[in-house]
Amino acid sequence: MTKKVKILGMVLDGFTYFSAILTALALFMIMGFVFRNGFSLLSFDLLTKDYHANHYVATLNEDESITFTNPGIDEGYFVERYGIIINDTKNLSGDTIIEVIYVEEYSPFNALNNQNDQIIALEEGMLLSRVTYEEHPTSLTNRGAYSMAEDLNNEDRVIREVMFSTVGGGIRGSLIATLYLIGLTLMIAMPFGILSAVYLNEFAPNNKLTRTIRSFIETLTGVPSIIFGLLGITVFVPITSSLTQANGSNLIAGALTLSVILLPVIIRTTEEALRVVPNEHRFASLALGANHTQTTFKVVLPQALSGILTATFLAIGRIIGESAALIFVLGTAIKDRVSVFESATPLAVHIWSMMTDEPANIALSSTVAIIILSIVLILNIGIKLSVFFWNRKRSVS
Amino acid sequence: MDKVFQIDDLNLFYDDFQALKHIDLEIYRNKITALIGPSGCGKSTFIRCLNRMNDLIDGVKMDGCIRFDDEVCNLDGYDVINLRKRVGMVFQKPNPFPMSIFDNIAYGPRRQGVKDKATLKETVIKSLKQAALYDEVKDDLNKSALSLSGGQQQRLCIARALAMEPEVLLMDEPTSALDPIATQKIEALISELKEKYTIVIVTHSMQQAARISDYTAFFYMGELREYDATDKIFKAPKLKQTEDYITGRFG
Amino acid sequence: MRTKSYRLSKIDSITENGLSIFAVISASMIVLISLFITLKGILPFITDNDGLGSVNLFRFLTSTVWLKGETFVSTAYGAGFLVVQTLYIAFLSLMLAFPIGVLTALFIAKIAPKNIARIFRTIIELLTAIPSIVFGLVGAGLILPWVYRLARAFNFQSGGGNGTLSVVIVLALMSIPTITAVSEVAIRSVDRSLEDASLALGATASQTRFKITLLAAKSGIFSSAILAIGRALGEATAISLVAGNARSGPNFGLFDITSTITSTMLQGMKETSGIDYDIRFSLGILLMVVILVTNLALNFVKKKVGNMHD
Repeated sequence: MTKKVKILGMVLDGFTYFSAILTALALFMIMGFVFRNGFSLLSFDLLTKDYHANHYVATLNEDESITFTNPGIDEGYFVERYGIIINDTKNLSGDTIIEVIYVEEYSPFNALNNQNDQIIALEEGMLLSRVTYEEHPTSLTNRGAYSMAEDLNNEDRVIREVMFSTVGGGIRGSLIATLYLIGLTLMIAMPFGILSAVYLNEFAPNNKLTRTIRSFIETLTGVPSIIFGLLGITVFVPITSSLTQANGSNLIAGALTLSVILLPVIIRTTEEALRVVPNEHRFASLALGANHTQTTFKVVLPQALSGILTATFLAIGRIIGESAALIFVLGTAIKDRVSVFESATPLAVHIWSMMTDEPANIALSSTVAIIILSIVLILNIGIKLSVFFWNRKRSVS
Repeated sequence: MDKVFQIDDLNLFYDDFQALKHIDLEIYRNKITALIGPSGCGKSTFIRCLNRMNDLIDGVKMDGCIRFDDEVCNLDGYDVINLRKRVGMVFQKPNPFPMSIFDNIAYGPRRQGVKDKATLKETVIKSLKQAALYDEVKDDLNKSALSLSGGQQQRLCIARALAMEPEVLLMDEPTSALDPIATQKIEALISELKEKYTIVIVTHSMQQAARISDYTAFFYMGELREYDATDKIFKAPKLKQTEDYITGRFG
Repeated sequence: MRTKSYRLSKIDSITENGLSIFAVISASMIVLISLFITLKGILPFITDNDGLGSVNLFRFLTSTVWLKGETFVSTAYGAGFLVVQTLYIAFLSLMLAFPIGVLTALFIAKIAPKNIARIFRTIIELLTAIPSIVFGLVGAGLILPWVYRLARAFNFQSGGGNGTLSVVIVLALMSIPTITAVSEVAIRSVDRSLEDASLALGATASQTRFKITLLAAKSGIFSSAILAIGRALGEATAISLVAGNARSGPNFGLFDITSTITSTMLQGMKETSGIDYDIRFSLGILLMVVILVTNLALNFVKKKVGNMHD
């Protein structure tokens, strides 16, 4: 063994170990980045709040001079003149803002007049942006909560206008859109895929036509998802717009688009599940005088259930991760009120929308990414479990 | 007679199962030694000890002594690569690499660092002649090895092993995957090769052992039951068990 | 499995015919897609586009500028440079991902002890499951700053890190799991006796791996590369977030901003009618043609290479 050969061997082995380490590192780098940037924003509020901040401008009803007593909350600055507590906090972009922590029941801020003379309230969790006074300088956010509290407590100051807003940045709308999308897509794609698979595996003759059908379905796997998006806007959006109350992009069209993307996966997985069912079961059923339809639906299909379950998990994982096709079909407008007849952004598109904003909201995108990855992880475990139980059943029977 | 291998009290375990029990054996130079016995008796395991191919299997433990060519007991810290250059192996199913005939045979020398084209060509032709394959393939050495017949492929594997110029050639049931005519050709080849090489051959066929070997070792259930000159084993075996096996009463 | 005389009753006929509808519709989806996209995609070239004039096909296929003139006014679209950039980026990312992916597969299949191999297989599964938008996010948040700093260190101008190198790194990250997963299967199914023969000839384990194992698995390994390139050519969202959206080209510099067919399709969707909208379908046709031709070419090469000594 020459020295050169030995060194070459060591170098090649080194590259091999190096590559494996790089791959592992890639995973940790991605997970690490997403978690580090998004974890701090993860909260129950995030899942239930609106995305868009609502801004309000209002005036006080009457300047009653009731003095309020401090309810004893540690945080923040108590404005005894109006019975509210405000505190400094940071928003998602890192700027300092003023949050309303507490509002007394009888506080005048609980019954403000907005521009349409309706009564609205300043609620806990909202942000106090600005207070203007007659003949006194305005209280601004950038001076901090302490300064604003001082101004408000000042008996000389008479409030002209109060500007406040909800926090926004919540993903409730997108979360609901995702759930609607999953539900609709599964309702369309699963029956379609399963029945197609049943036909191909149980009823179809072994001829050229069947082979053609199969190969046509297989070619769908090589089509990039953005092309399905084009299909969605040319075919599904107009169809749904004319058949339902939808007008333009809508979630149903999105579900139809996703269904086409999922067809090959569902059909392939279901066919595999059907193929694994032993022929003895089919023969036994037929020998008892059942016809082919009964055999298929009462005997074969039930045995393929765990395979179908696997297909479902795979489908859901694909739905959650899909972005390009849905960007085309659904657009990128984030909605807080979601209806299946209108467009909305599922989680993946929500990330796209935030990332293509100026400036890109990496923090909140990472938080949504954590949610997506967690769901995908759970689904993967689900797939592993269902495959495990499927194998166990096969070895027992 | 010159001993090539001296094996003393060799034991081999696959995890908890003992596959070889207290094997004492000598392999003599330039002789053909056949290992016979029923399936699972340990003869393949034994032959793989001689070129340390068992090292590749998980859970294998050995103790005892295998002395190659009067060197020290080589169960620990032995240069395995070097050993395999001097002890070659041919397997049961012909396994040529998916390369040309030339590249197959040149593979071993190339891995040892031989680059000179002329040297390689010389080695390839010489090995092919020794393996009695040259005449059949000399027109196109760049042809794929996989296009040869089963018998030719096995002779190619023999040529491939011979290209390393080993001292010993181990053969693990080399003809069991071949037809009778190919088998005959290879048996004739083996008989010729013993002039230059020491050969140890595992065989399932009693007839083959009787035909070509000088010494025969009968293995049973991991033990070496009888070992003697082939003539004696087949004409006057000492153990009844040996006689029963040879006459086909079991195994 | 279809037993011989299976039309046992009228119900079976009905079932068979009923079910076949589902299968036929599923099969017709690809036809539908091809039809609609071709129809809509050809329009800009053959119609008048509401008085703006038709798009010149030759210029479209060869031009180096995406659009000369105002949107919705001009018809001077060009996608030639996009095709060049798309292929360039895809092959660069393959050059990066292929060795890493194959060697990782080699590690998992041949070197790693059982439990470490299992851990790595899980790592690969997880990487495969990550949606492309998350890759885009990590690309924009992590890779862009790195590339920017790298460019600055070499005194290169870079559009904030956006550009070819960033896209190539992101695509490579997405391709490695595919290459590793498919290659690993191919490597694992190499006949042990070939490796035994090599070792018995005195070759080292390392030599055996590189000269015999990888050689024997080359067909599967090549397939993994074809699969990876197919996905790289069709990737849209991840690329768009790190490419920089070059409107002319072709740009070959690692730190130059760039674009692909898909990223251009995603850019600035403002209206849902009019020529700027219709032209995306033309890009769709172009994308499908590029993918088809690349696949055919690579499969042809695979057959040619595979035929030697197999």
